[in-house]
Amino acid sequence: MPAGHGLRCRTRDLFARPFRKKGYIPLSTYLRTYKIGDYVDIKVNGAVHKGMPHKFYHGRTGRVWNVTKRAIGVEVNKQVGNRIIRKRIHVRVEHVQPSRCAEEFKLRKLKNDQLKAEAKAKGEVISTKRQPEGPKPGFMVEGATLETVTPIPYDVVNDLKGGY
Amino acid sequence: MPYVKAQKSKSYFKRYQVKFKRRREGKTDYRARTRLINQDKNKYNTPKYRLVARFSNKDIIAQVVHASIAGDIVLAAAYAHELPHYGLEVGLTNYAAAYCVGLLLARRVLKQLEMDDEYEGNVEATGEDFTVEPAESRRPFRALLDVGLVRTTTGNRVFGVLKGALDGGVDIPHSEKRFAGFDKDSKQLDPEVHRKYIFGGHVAAYMRTLMEDEPEKYQSHFGEYIKRGIEPENMEGMYKKVHAAIRADPTCKKSEKEPPKEHKRYNLKKLSYEERKAKLIDRLKALNSADAVENDSDEDDD
Repeated sequence: MPAGHGLRCRTRDLFARPFRKKGYIPLSTYLRTYKIGDYVDIKVNGAVHKGMPHKFYHGRTGRVWNVTKRAIGVEVNKQVGNRIIRKRIHVRVEHVQPSRCAEEFKLRKLKNDQLKAEAKAKGEVISTKRQPEGPKPGFMVEGATLETVTPIPYDVVNDLKGGY
Repeated sequence: MPYVKAQKSKSYFKRYQVKFKRRREGKTDYRARTRLINQDKNKYNTPKYRLVARFSNKDIIAQVVHASIAGDIVLAAAYAHELPHYGLEVGLTNYAAAYCVGLLLARRVLKQLEMDDEYEGNVEATGEDFTVEPAESRRPFRALLDVGLVRTTTGNRVFGVLKGALDGGVDIPHSEKRFAGFDKDSKQLDPEVHRKYIFGGHVAAYMRTLMEDEPEKYQSHFGEYIKRGIEPENMEGMYKKVHAAIRADPTCKKSEKEPPKEHKRYNLKKLSYEERKAKLIDRLKALNSADAVENDSDEDDD
């Protein structure tokens, strides 16, 4: 029999629920709100059969471009041949999690705005650019004693006794 | 003893998946809950209110709740044990009391949201099916009935709470199929029968039959009613007064409670993180000083 290439082919383990997490899904998935422009991770929940994305999108992160009654439109990058297409798919909320990829950026933005506002109040000029880690500063080695190490002459008797 | 194969092996426990806590306690029906809470995503953060009606053996609890990830938030609550303030002291878990609790909750919610002048609801409780009409300025307050684990039969008291809330002015999608007085065969609600239930007519009828047939049982069963001088004839008047009192002042009255007495502690109090760290430092210091007294060498400072 030839191999099948159906929609959910080769997803036996990918879409399976994890150990001891079968059955009802926790309600916080339904209570989350998503706004257009948010980043979301797509993680298929095998317990909910409607609105499942294709297995290619499992584990991808995309931006929200549409919000409907029970589903979210997510824009995901997919490489097709020699180019990357921005694909727009609709996914039910059970298969979607808020992504933390932009979290650090958002926090940094807030902090930088705060720092800039403070500096403006004081009249200083600050740069909020991130700097890469530079080379470590030099230091003097403390408590260094000189110990000369020389090889000991080979002692056949001792070595044989140990090794047998 | 014959060899009995152990039913619950170690692997049984290892593989066992516990149900959600509230399901284990038998308190929450998650199938119903997911459908009640799920809000359309394109309504973003608009809360979806549920009218929760729960009955215990001696009390009725009615709440208007909306869900959040941290936990459900209660907008307003009404209990049957508050009804003595409004003049109803006995029969706190019957259909009539359920109607009063629903009415009280609805008026409380509307007063809290300052909608109580616009949405009077049905002042005269007739037992007919009443739906709130939208007024000019604001749309009516909408809630969904959450019955919990109760079997929804015709004439159940949760629908008494529902009717009370409807007449109070809250918009709750419903059908009259389960109100007391709905006739299965003719598929119609008989408002007269429903009205009888709202005013405790069924209780009054039972009181009358007992008075005639079994006076001793009447004394034992309706003792509290007799003590307060409640006759089957003046039940309707009593409930009308309670309805009026509820509409007049639905605010919650806080009762004064003394602070609870200090009890003797029978077990050790758990230390806080700072206290535990301080204890550890003291112990290390004591160890170090003890070692310094004993000998100085060969002691790792772990």
